Amino acid sequence: MGRIVLENVTKSFGSTEVIPPLNLTIEDGEFAVFVGPSGCGKSTLLRVIAGLEDATSGKVLIDDEDVTEISPSKRGLAMVFQTYALYPHMSVRKNIAFPMRMAGMSEEEQEKRITAAANSLNLTDYLDRKPGQLSGGQRQRVAIGRAIVRDPSAFLFDEPLSNLDAALRVGMRLEITEMHERMKTTMIYVTHDQVEAMTMANKIVVLQAGVIEQVGSPLELYHRPRNKFVAGFIGSPKMNLIEGALAEEQAAHTIGIRPEHLSISDKEGLWQGTVGVAEHLGSDTFIHIHGIEGCDPMTMRAAGDVSFNHGDRVYLTPDATQIHKFDAQGLRVE
Amino acid sequence: MSDRKLPRMLQSPAVILLLIWMLVPLSMTLYFSFIRYVLNNLRRPEWTTPSISNWRGLGNYEFVLKSKDFLFAIQNSLLIVCSILFLTVVLGVLIAVLINKSFPGQGIVRVLLISPFFVMPAVNAVLWINMILDPVLGLQGIAVAGINETVAGLRNTPLIGGFFSLWPEFNPISFRATQTSAYAVIMMVTWQWTPFAVLIFMTSLQSEDQQQKEAAILDGASAWSQFRFLTLPHLGRPIAIVVMIQAIFHLSLYAEIEIVSRGNGNKNLPYLIGEFANNNIGAASATGIFAVILANIVAIFLLRMVGKTLME
Repeated sequence: MGRIVLENVTKSFGSTEVIPPLNLTIEDGEFAVFVGPSGCGKSTLLRVIAGLEDATSGKVLIDDEDVTEISPSKRGLAMVFQTYALYPHMSVRKNIAFPMRMAGMSEEEQEKRITAAANSLNLTDYLDRKPGQLSGGQRQRVAIGRAIVRDPSAFLFDEPLSNLDAALRVGMRLEITEMHERMKTTMIYVTHDQVEAMTMANKIVVLQAGVIEQVGSPLELYHRPRNKFVAGFIGSPKMNLIEGALAEEQAAHTIGIRPEHLSISDKEGLWQGTVGVAEHLGSDTFIHIHGIEGCDPMTMRAAGDVSFNHGDRVYLTPDATQIHKFDAQGLRVE
Repeated sequence: MSDRKLPRMLQSPAVILLLIWMLVPLSMTLYFSFIRYVLNNLRRPEWTTPSISNWRGLGNYEFVLKSKDFLFAIQNSLLIVCSILFLTVVLGVLIAVLINKSFPGQGIVRVLLISPFFVMPAVNAVLWINMILDPVLGLQGIAVAGINETVAGLRNTPLIGGFFSLWPEFNPISFRATQTSAYAVIMMVTWQWTPFAVLIFMTSLQSEDQQQKEAAILDGASAWSQFRFLTLPHLGRPIAIVVMIQAIFHLSLYAEIEIVSRGNGNKNLPYLIGEFANNNIGAASATGIFAVILANIVAIFLLRMVGKTLME
């Protein structure tokens, strides 16, 4: 079980309030991702849940039990850190055994769990090595192994993939998602990378300056962003946000259109502009178009290989059903 | 060839200078240790000048080995060095961990803690033996006298008087005595060198990974377990370095021993060399060679130990 509820949690460092009163429920078995730009308080929030930081006020409940005043080790949570935080003087085996050893578990039970964790994480051949002799991906797997053997009610991940290279990151992303599917344990995952959030989460919590901007499933956030911030943060490349005359035509302060919902033509269309840089990814082409009022440059995404040259005059047409409208406060208008 | 010659030629002055610096004293010591060479002898004036004709073979070594102080000096050297190493490392780790937490006045406390290290060894010895350890005028004498007076006063009080009348009269310890002078030296050198250990350990503690500690907290490790399984292994390397540097320095203690008791009951090899060198240069040189051997044995042990921790 691992249902985590935050009730009016706040956190201040001295006189600066990092997290204003915040309410959030993470259901048992959910994969929740806290995402936001750096400095938005997502890591602090995770540390408050873990107990490494005390909440300034408010309550943290795990399975309806108030754990606000309970020490971190008694909360039954396991955490995986960005820097792995492995114990450098111990072998992989001893690292994984450490929490069980601290809990005074019997040797046989320890050995059984180490073997199981090592098998599921492909660490069997490395059990007697020191962390210093492992690659980044292997170290992160050891850190996950150390978390698994505790059989926690929830896993907390604090930007666990940030120190890995791009290829490994994709691999580990899949492994962690796969692990969640198998174990069905609550996981809370902090990242600044919206791709990780979109691909892994059941529930995304978008944070900005300690405030929750929106909570929802990845596709909910993609299709119905509650405000301009979420609209711009979720999706890659970013949504084009257009202000001014073009928005007023649609009776909105700002309109947003995702690059994949624009079509391009050299003959006719709604908006006229000139081609700037075109980024060819093979499967897609991202074209930056200048000269459209209220949004410069506007990005559009064309499937496959499209050949437009720098300076070409082109026309863009938005898919009318996919236009997002926002009012002067930046909130979504239906 | 020629492109190797030039660098070697350029290096040679330094290398030659170093060789002279090391080899000349060592070979002179070796030479003197095999001949009869004394500073003053009225019956055999020819022994007062070093000459190969005064060849004595291993006689000087035999003389040193048979002298009553030699074995004692080696044992005492090791006792002093090992005690100081043990005390400075234990105290150093404890103090470093204590002051690693931030508290008001941290800067001043740190400076005060380091200050004993800047006291000259001879001054340190004079200070301790006269002002602190002296059984009459030193802090020790005053403290013991104060305790005795208090106990005497309490004997007459009702209720608890009976308990205190069971107490004996305390006697201050004379640290210049044969049995205690080594402890005086251990104490004063420990006082002086603990700051060195604290300094090294403190810098090392500041580089300790905080996330590891947080991980350990979540893993349920108590404060003691964190110290035992994270901090202590982290300090392994600096401890090895502190032990090695201090061993080198403390094998050659002299000023403290001279000032505390003039070698009474407390000699080490350098002090023995000094005593022989009052007249018998041959015996002093032979002792010097023994000291070189002892230092090398200790160094090999220590280098192994340091090497091992560095390899991990």
